[in-house]
Amino acid sequence: MAIEIRNVEKTFGAFTALGGVSLDVRSGELLALLGPSGSGKTTLLRIIAGLDHADAGEVSFDGQDTRDRAARDRQVGFVFQHYALFRHMTVFDNVAFGLRVKRKAERPAEMDIRRRVDQLLTMVQLSHLATRYPSQLSGGQRQRVALARALAIEPKVLLLDEPFGALDAKVRKDLRKWLRHLHDDMNITSIFVTHDQEEALELADRVVVMNHGQIIQVGTPTEVYDTPADSFVFDFLGGVNRLNGVVDRGVARLDGHPVRVDGEVGAEGPALIYVRPHQVELGVAPADGVPEGKWSARVSMVHAAGPVARVELDLAGRALEAQLSRDRLSDLALEVGSWCTVDFRHARVFPAKA
Amino acid sequence: MTAAASTSGSAAPRRGRGFLAPTILPGFGTAFGFTLFYLCLIVLIPLGHMVLVAAGVGWTKFWAITLAPRVLHAFYISFGCALVAALVNAVFGLIVAWVLVRYRFPGRRIIDAMVDLPFALPTSVAGIALTAIYAPNGWVGAFAKAAGFKIAFTPIGIVIALVFVGLPFIVRTVEPVLQDLDAEVEEAAASLGATRWQTFTKVLLPAILPALLTGIALAFARGVGEYGSVIFIAGNIPAVSEIVPLLIVARLEQYDYAGATVIATAMLGLSFLMLLGINFLQRWTRSRHAR
Amino acid sequence: MPADPHSRRPAVGEGPLTRVALIGLAILFLAAFLALPLAAVFSQALAKGVGAFMKGLTDPDALQAVKLTLTVALIAVPLNLVFGVAASWAIAKFQFQGKSLLLALIDLPFSVSPVISGLVYVLLFGLHGSLGPWLRDQGVQIIFAVPGVVLATVFVTFPFVARELIPLMQEQGVEDEEAAIVLGASGWQTFRLVTLPNIRWGLLYGVLLCNARAMGEFGAVSVVSGHIRGKTNTMPLHVEILYNEYNFVAAFAVASLLALLALVTLAAKAALEWRFADQIAAAKR
Repeated sequence: MAIEIRNVEKTFGAFTALGGVSLDVRSGELLALLGPSGSGKTTLLRIIAGLDHADAGEVSFDGQDTRDRAARDRQVGFVFQHYALFRHMTVFDNVAFGLRVKRKAERPAEMDIRRRVDQLLTMVQLSHLATRYPSQLSGGQRQRVALARALAIEPKVLLLDEPFGALDAKVRKDLRKWLRHLHDDMNITSIFVTHDQEEALELADRVVVMNHGQIIQVGTPTEVYDTPADSFVFDFLGGVNRLNGVVDRGVARLDGHPVRVDGEVGAEGPALIYVRPHQVELGVAPADGVPEGKWSARVSMVHAAGPVARVELDLAGRALEAQLSRDRLSDLALEVGSWCTVDFRHARVFPAKA
Repeated sequence: MTAAASTSGSAAPRRGRGFLAPTILPGFGTAFGFTLFYLCLIVLIPLGHMVLVAAGVGWTKFWAITLAPRVLHAFYISFGCALVAALVNAVFGLIVAWVLVRYRFPGRRIIDAMVDLPFALPTSVAGIALTAIYAPNGWVGAFAKAAGFKIAFTPIGIVIALVFVGLPFIVRTVEPVLQDLDAEVEEAAASLGATRWQTFTKVLLPAILPALLTGIALAFARGVGEYGSVIFIAGNIPAVSEIVPLLIVARLEQYDYAGATVIATAMLGLSFLMLLGINFLQRWTRSRHAR
Repeated sequence: MPADPHSRRPAVGEGPLTRVALIGLAILFLAAFLALPLAAVFSQALAKGVGAFMKGLTDPDALQAVKLTLTVALIAVPLNLVFGVAASWAIAKFQFQGKSLLLALIDLPFSVSPVISGLVYVLLFGLHGSLGPWLRDQGVQIIFAVPGVVLATVFVTFPFVARELIPLMQEQGVEDEEAAIVLGASGWQTFRLVTLPNIRWGLLYGVLLCNARAMGEFGAVSVVSGHIRGKTNTMPLHVEILYNEYNFVAAFAVASLLALLALVTLAAKAALEWRFADQIAAAKR
């Protein structure tokens, strides 16, 4: 099911949660709403589900306005951040709930309910825990019960609020992969909210970056990562080095040397040069000075645990972080106090804020 | 919140380490000693002594006294009226708690404070006030008389007094549970297609039920032993509207110490059973709802 | 997510009609069962005018009853306060075996009929009681005298302060106290400078409830007092005597004084809950 969101506004007292948001959700896609807390992403999700009313604007499902459809009539599967499992019901009864509260005419026979719930529990790999209560489950298991429960009503759209927020790192990774497979199998239009850029980039077909109640950028993970719309997106989507430079006659310069820049250079004057740590290239400093167009820096710290090494550098008084493979690190033979050359493979320039 | 909240529960994992778990805080001996001394002096010795006196009466006489028709009827009235009142309170107390927790309306704070009136108002004051209202010449009693029935001086009057006395127990037990209910759970039910009524009966009520049962038990226990607010409105007609506590007082005034003691001990025994029940309920609630 | 109390109708919840009906039902029920009796007390007290009302209040026996009620509360409340602090210190700050049994025993007086609370002392100290003859020989009278009234009051108000303090102190934990001890404070200093400031509002709350019950107790006191006018009559007992003598105006006049006390207690309690909700929160749970 496709969802069109047009100029949706929502305020809570003096706080603007959504300031006129428009978005098209394509049928069958897995969409991430990504943003810091307070950016309005959860509010948008709740408005789609009918759990909150928009102050203005409209949300339509396949072209039909949803204004007068209560949450219970929307056929929206909602997975809550803290799962909201019914504590006094077993796992089985939790999953069966949506089927058992259907109007008599639409309610499946108890036999069919059983079969359907068993199917769902098999799918989320929890058949063996059907008679347990939520308090007896781990976080990851509760998450999967909540998902099975939402899927039981055969929703046209699946909404997930911070689906992995309350889980520890290891479980989070596994569930992420599993959810992606599940989505590929079932093909339900799905939207999930997250503040974790890694999660959004890894899992989603498209990512919607939000800030201060506005949508800043919509695009595939590659698009938003490689061509961020502005400095906020650049900043939010991963580690970054921000260096004070200048734009002089159309060329960005750092300490006088020109910087290779993707896209617009922008207005003349002071500018911020954004470089991701893995776009920083280090080289062995030659004995007789520094080659043209390169900078030299002193190593202040080396973190060599894990597959990727991080090197902290001092570039003419600025802190700079570089990421490189362990092999490259040993080739360069860098250690604290040694000098190296620095270059930037890709950089973006944004005007410096006053 | 704090670590202590979880470790302060009863069965701490201290097996085999002696009576007191190691601590650097001083004053346990003094505080514990005084607590135990005072508890024994004021409560345990006098109560235990009464049970001993009752035991001294002898088994045959004990049953002869408790099973006398007038006594049995008093038990029937006391327990029956307390149960009816507790159930009335269960319905209205739940509504009051619901309204106080969930809705914002003018006067809510005052109403919230007023719920505790039965705790604060001396029982004899409540008793004469209720009698003044429900006696045949009272504000409400006159209407009842015109309609051809009596409220005061019948078991109905006793129930009314016990509803008054028991109300805060239900409201104050249910309120915190209603407050702690996760709004997400109701939203989950709604998004799964449940009507409001289905959400209430299938999701909310089961969550409230343990607290509601505890509240009913507390109101019931209080109602069984209640004296001051009941004796005025009850009329105390033997075998009609006579309650057990009044019977005890009557025996005492006739210097029938054995009778008073036996009846009191029987009642204490029943109260103990109820206390056990309440404890069991609370334990069950906690184990069921532990996150 | 900031919640907005002024938002229009929430998307999930009862409809406006159900809300109004439920609020109406609750108010009607409370009006019938709480407001009506309260109104009855004051209207009956003033039924024969202010003169009769004042006469009922200024009667020497009534004044004596007020004095006795205050005296009894002044003895019973501090006793139970000291007990409450000691018990909650032992129970909340230490782990020991049999704690839940001790907790249940402290709650015991709540589940004992007030009449039985009086009876247990009659059986011990009454003329026909186990210690009665011996006490008489010593020239000490407890039952049908002020000491009996005090004892019965102490019994029924026994758990109030402890009940408020134990959950509060349990929630607060022991870290503050341990820090004070580690910093070199003595036990008494720790209690006075660290524990007491943390629990003072909960303590006041407990004292308030304890006092209300102490001044208002009827059943237990009724059994031990002997109803001797001008001697062992507390206010609630005096109300009963006047009422039974068909002196309704005077009975309700004294009752209105007690009702006023109840209202003041409720107001103070509400004020405490309103201002120091977080500091007595545990007790309210």
